Amino acid sequence: MAGKNIVRQFLFPRVTRKFLTRVCAVALFAYLIFGHLYIPLRIQGESMEPTYRSARFNFCWTLRYVFSKPKRRDVVVIRLAGKKVMLLKRVVAVEGEEVEFREGKLYVDGKEIDEPYVRYPCDWNLSPRRVEKGCVYAVGDNRSMLMRYHDFGQVSIKRIVGVPLW
Amino acid sequence: MVKPKTIVIALLAVLIAILAARRLFPSEAREVRKQFDRLSKWVSKGRAESALTMARKIKRIGTLFADPCKFRTPIYSFSGTYTPEEISSYAAAAHLQLAKLSLRFYDHNIQFPEEGTAKVVFTAKLTGTTKMGESIHETHEVECTLRKSEDKWLFTDCEVVEVLKK
Repeated sequence: MAGKNIVRQFLFPRVTRKFLTRVCAVALFAYLIFGHLYIPLRIQGESMEPTYRSARFNFCWTLRYVFSKPKRRDVVVIRLAGKKVMLLKRVVAVEGEEVEFREGKLYVDGKEIDEPYVRYPCDWNLSPRRVEKGCVYAVGDNRSMLMRYHDFGQVSIKRIVGVPLW
Repeated sequence: MVKPKTIVIALLAVLIAILAARRLFPSEAREVRKQFDRLSKWVSKGRAESALTMARKIKRIGTLFADPCKFRTPIYSFSGTYTPEEISSYAAAAHLQLAKLSLRFYDHNIQFPEEGTAKVVFTAKLTGTTKMGESIHETHEVECTLRKSEDKWLFTDCEVVEVLKK
């Protein structure tokens, strides 16, 4: 009987001032936390496989770069027109560095970079290019497709929203 | 002292009034958004879609574009100026090659720089499957200009923003 009452109270609560205050506080808290600090993400697409598989759930931690800049190997979330659809990529070079692909191997400033996160075969060739000021060079971990089918390249740091939480 | 129930009823009444006003007196921004909804609906294709439905949708696609409409896409070889009829025939060719197609728009940022002109920045997400079974996943930031002509907002200029510059 008591259990039934609790369920009833939970589903049909009495609208009191205290109840309304609580509802507003929870709504505000949820909006701040999940709208601005930990933005929920559902990963779609294969460009970051096997590190991040399609259809998995994650959060974007937005305060990661408040006091620092993205570094090489960081996985970052890049915004497009807004924050409903964003891109997940890995930073492979930062501003001022020269990036190049030779037979699928990444070279930064002429030195080959070890990339243990790239598990699938890659045969890309991309002539050297210098990363402009205020930008980073971002590429997905899955480079098994043809280069023209993979979205990667130089992106402004201003577009980086944060990092995946795990 | 005002009862909490009265506050809830008042809030609900205000909400209903706002929704009713929005429906009865649609704003220009809402009219612009409607054009995007129509484009999304008419470009998308389901697996079990009949030839008649497809033909009707393709014919309608052309009515959303001005004559001529300019496309600027750094990634594809689609850049150029097209008539509504040409756009419809491109859509027809795409529909024939694809088993399933979905075009969705997100994060619309609508501005009216002058009367009768709307500038919209948004994210376009195209997903589909070819008749050969290959998957298509394309996500781009797009900037479009729409002009009002005879009470209808028509797409006059579309440019794909290069967020990641190879």
